[in-house]
Amino acid sequence: MVSITPNFQSEPRLHDAARMALPHIFEVTWPDPSKLGADSKSAALLLNEARETFASHLGIRSDEIHFLGEPNLGFHLGINGLMSGQKRLVYSNIDRMEVFAVAEGHPSKMLEVDLNGQINFSELMKDDVLALQLCNRETGTIQNGRPKSPDLLAGLFVDSTASGTRIKLPANWSTALWDSTSWGGPSGLGVFAVSKSANWSNPLPHLDGRVNPGPASLALIVASALAIDSWVADEKNLAAKIAAINGEIRSYISNNIPDSDLAPGGADHLISASFLYVNAEQLVTKLADKGYPVDSGSACSSVNMQPSHVLAALGVLTQGNIRLTIHHAITFEEVKEFLEVLSQTVGELRDK
Amino acid sequence: MILDCLGKRCPLPIIELAKALADKSIGFKLTLLSDDPASQPDLIAWARMTGNSVETSETNTFQITKLAN
Repeated sequence: MVSITPNFQSEPRLHDAARMALPHIFEVTWPDPSKLGADSKSAALLLNEARETFASHLGIRSDEIHFLGEPNLGFHLGINGLMSGQKRLVYSNIDRMEVFAVAEGHPSKMLEVDLNGQINFSELMKDDVLALQLCNRETGTIQNGRPKSPDLLAGLFVDSTASGTRIKLPANWSTALWDSTSWGGPSGLGVFAVSKSANWSNPLPHLDGRVNPGPASLALIVASALAIDSWVADEKNLAAKIAAINGEIRSYISNNIPDSDLAPGGADHLISASFLYVNAEQLVTKLADKGYPVDSGSACSSVNMQPSHVLAALGVLTQGNIRLTIHHAITFEEVKEFLEVLSQTVGELRDK
Repeated sequence: MILDCLGKRCPLPIIELAKALADKSIGFKLTLLSDDPASQPDLIAWARMTGNSVETSETNTFQITKLAN
C-alpha cells in the first residue's frame, strides 16, 4: 500500500482493487464498445458488467445509468432537465454552489436549514422541483426528512455526491448524481441517473437520445465499478471503526480544546470543527507541515475569501475551521497522534 | 467605545474584540466596526460560545455587550 501519512482530506486514495487492475484495464478498454469486432465486443461486455455493478449497489436499473466525464455537469443535467415550463426550484442553503448556480436561471425558493441542518418540507408546493442533498460534504449533515407527497412534485433531483452508497435514494426520485470518489473510485467520473418514470428532457444541445455528451472514459468506469464492489464490502467491516473514530475525535475536541465548535454530526466519515481566535490558513498550513493534510471551510483559506456558506447556515463558527474526512484506512493510532498535534497547534496559534 | 476593525480579516476582528473585553466588567458595551464577510456569522457564533451578546445595528456595525467573563 502506498499510504505513508494519514490523509484527512476529502479525496480518498484510489481503492487498491482499482489501482492494481488499472494497467490491465487500460489495455482492454481502448475500443469503442458500440462498434463491431471482437475487441469492441469485449469492451461492451465490460461496460455492461460495470453498469450492472453500479445498478445493484445504487439501487437503480442499469438502463437508468449514464456516466459523466465531468461529475458536476450532473447538477445542470439533473436539475435543468426537470425544469421545463415555469417550474419553481426549491433547494436548501446548505446545498452545493452548483445548485445555487442552476437556481439563478429559474424561479426558485431557497429553504433555510435549522441548526441541525434540517429543512422544512411543508413549504413545498405541487409541481415544484426539489433539489435534495442526502448528505452535506462539508459537515456530514444528513437530511433526515423527506417530502410528504413526493408524487405531487414535478421532479426530485437527489445529490448523492457526498453520501455515495451510504444513503438509499428516496421514493419518487427523478434524477440522481454520485461521484466516483465517494467509494474510492477514480476522480473525474460521475454516475448520473435518470429514472424511467421521470419527466426529464435533455437541457444540453443534442441531436439524438443520448443523455450526456460523453463518452466518459471506459477505463475509469470499469475501475470505478471494481472500487465500488470492494468499497461496499470494506464498509460493512469498517463502518463501526469509522463511527468509533468519529466519536473519539468529537469527544477529544470538546473535552480538550477550549473554545471549539463542532458542526452537528451526521455521516460518520465527516467532521467539521472550528476554533475561536485561530487563523484557519495558518492552522491548515501547520498541520500539513506536520504531516496531516486537512480541508477547511474558513474564508481565509478559500479562493474567494468568503466563509463556507454551509457553516454560516448552520450557525457554526467559520473561523479556524478544519474539515476531516475519515477514510477506511485511517487507524486509531494515527487519529490519536493527529489529535495531540491538533491540540498543540491550536494552542501555539492562539499564543502568538 | 468604538472598536474599528474595518479592513481586517478573520479572525482578527474577534481576537481584537476579545482583547478589548478582557479587562472590562460585566455589562460593558462597545460598538465593533467590521466589514469582513465572516464577521456576521462568527460574531453570532462567538456570542453563543462565550455567553456574550451581539446585535447587528447596521451594515458592518455590531453592538456588543459583555455578559460573561
